[in-house]
Amino acid sequence: MSDRSQLIETGTPFQFDAERDAEFERLVKRYPTRESMILPALWLTQEQEGWISAEAIGYIADRIGTFASKVFEVATFYTMYNLHPVGEYHICVCRTLSCYLLGKQQIVDYLYQELGIKPGDVSKDGKFSLEEVECLGHCGTAPVVQVNGEFHEDMDVEKMKALLATLK
Amino acid sequence: MAEMVKLSVNGQEVEVEAGKNLIDAVGAVGIEIPHLCYHPALGADGNCRMCLVGIEDGRPPLVPACKTPAAEGMKVQLDAEHIKKIQHDVMELELINHPTDCPICDQAGECALQDYYQKYDGQESRMTVPQVQKSKKLDFGCGVIHDQERCILCARCVRFTRQITKTGELGIVNRTDDARVTTFPGRPLNNRYALNVVDLCPVGAMTSSDFRFKQRVWFLTRDKGICHGCSKGCNIFIDHHKEKYKDDIIYRYRPFVNEQVNGYFMCDEGRMTYKKENQDRLLVAKANNAESIISSAVDSLKNSISSSNKPVFLVSPNCSLEQMYAIKKLGEAKGATVSGFSDGYILEGDGDDFLIQDDKAANRAGLELLGVDTTKEAFESAMKEADLLVNFNNDLAKSYDAAALDELIGDCKFAMVATTQDALTEKAEIAIPAASYSEYSGSVINTDNILQMFNKAVVKNEPFDDIVNIVSRIGGDVNENSAAWAGMKASVPALKDVEPEQIPEQGLALNS
Ligand code: SF4
Ligand code: SF4
Ligand code: FES
Ligand code: FES
Repeated sequence: MSDRSQLIETGTPFQFDAERDAEFERLVKRYPTRESMILPALWLTQEQEGWISAEAIGYIADRIGTFASKVFEVATFYTMYNLHPVGEYHICVCRTLSCYLLGKQQIVDYLYQELGIKPGDVSKDGKFSLEEVECLGHCGTAPVVQVNGEFHEDMDVEKMKALLATLK
Repeated sequence: MAEMVKLSVNGQEVEVEAGKNLIDAVGAVGIEIPHLCYHPALGADGNCRMCLVGIEDGRPPLVPACKTPAAEGMKVQLDAEHIKKIQHDVMELELINHPTDCPICDQAGECALQDYYQKYDGQESRMTVPQVQKSKKLDFGCGVIHDQERCILCARCVRFTRQITKTGELGIVNRTDDARVTTFPGRPLNNRYALNVVDLCPVGAMTSSDFRFKQRVWFLTRDKGICHGCSKGCNIFIDHHKEKYKDDIIYRYRPFVNEQVNGYFMCDEGRMTYKKENQDRLLVAKANNAESIISSAVDSLKNSISSSNKPVFLVSPNCSLEQMYAIKKLGEAKGATVSGFSDGYILEGDGDDFLIQDDKAANRAGLELLGVDTTKEAFESAMKEADLLVNFNNDLAKSYDAAALDELIGDCKFAMVATTQDALTEKAEIAIPAASYSEYSGSVINTDNILQMFNKAVVKNEPFDDIVNIVSRIGGDVNENSAAWAGMKASVPALKDVEPEQIPEQGLALNS
């Protein structure tokens, strides 16, 4: 549970690079309304920059022709969108019911102990960032941890330790 | 006539309009279904679940009344134990993180949450964990101040900016108990109807920087009125109060529902025009360029009119129909040219396709109906020869700058019957203070040719006369509204069959 609405302003205007621009135009044709592009456009931005700034949200809204408030809603609702720069390894620990009950907190506590970062933080050397996210859709093998998009299931502190060793 | 259906509520049979949702349908016969997110102007959103009712016909045990159309034979349950339980549970959910400091909340006394808590909940909180803290006193722009902790996330305000003004400044960000209403950085509320979110908000989360903490709402007297900010004539509540040892003043205007005129809303500029009723009022009369008692000013004006060879009477397009008629009759009797010239009230291009009109006068249609000339040519040519100009509250400064005004008036004797103290009353030799529209009863015709009546709302400690009475005191025949109506019915074909007492609350569309 966190407030994700304090967006970061970079102070410079955002725009898609040529590749994402073309991808945007290719995707927009697939949908009945342009508003359907909010999710894909946020992904494209994250792919390009690694995270999504206030300027990027404004850009997406204008590009689609919708209210910035709507893109803002979507971007803050889904924890998969990074609203601040993340580390080289972005660790997401699922905090939703199954994972919660099966011990996600031990993993989060361990990471704090080991890396000194709490959910929302980036380590000083920029190597690691940690986020608690909503259900990752693998509840059957909870608790679930995702590192740069890759799933690690049935986790516990021991396994997390082993996983960290491969990242360092 | 809408189609009616019979259904039962708690076993009691009622006849309601078919197809309307249950909240509105049974609400019309006086049965309340509690609801927070539904609003007739914004439609059903189904997010608050406060309106859950039971319907005994095999459908799921709970259905949202806001999304259920009334149908023949329906058996609606409101008082069953499981309904009472769900209402209590929804209240408990809404209150988990809600501050319990109603006494210092501006909404207290007109808050749906407060009322529903008393009616449907009334339990002590069972929460033992700290409440989620959010931001307070956020300046959303346009005079709207937001308190995220008081918000119950009904999304009325959000839907208003998306559906009605189509400006979409507001959104609900985050999720679960961190969800909150906010604006996108750098894109605050920026539309001419923004303050409607303050009325729409069922709780104290949206407040008006102009009104908040100025007056407890239970002290306010709510009288119906008509906004005189433009020719739409939006229906309003005039919320006023006379504090002990002070004068009756207006604290705010709020829209009053009139489907035929303004729906549920009004514009922000119109809302703020209440200030003109309180401030800068002409309080002291003037005769021969010196302060005087009102009766001397009246006598002096009466004499000036009698001794004038070529008087010009200028009428404000904001005058009531009755005032216009009285002035016109006096003008005819005294051989005066009566003009309603007021081009300056029209701000070309300022209006929109919702409520705001170009014409910032409430009753120009009245001038036309009574056949009062409003052309600049006629007014200026009469002024060339005039030896007396009697201005009935027409803000000439809207039509002329100071130099042009000096030239226009020249050596002509200048008298004002006015509500506001300004450069014009400064300039006038004779000035008589008059009641303003919140202080008299009358009628106006709006831009869509709808005739609307309004009654006196504010009673000042020392009330000034309605212009109708002032006109009668300076020699007119018409001494009250009923006399004006008798005369108008006899002389104006469009008003022949109009019974002023029978003008419906929604106004009467005149056949143009
Ligand atoms: S601010 Fe008021 S109107 Fe807007 S969502 Fe919150 S409670 Fe509803
Ligand atoms: S639209 Fe016109 S009549 Fe309505 S509130 Fe605004 S100024 Fe007043
Ligand atoms: S609850 Fe963690 S993956 Fe579903
Ligand atoms: S009024 Fe029906 S769900 Fe809110």
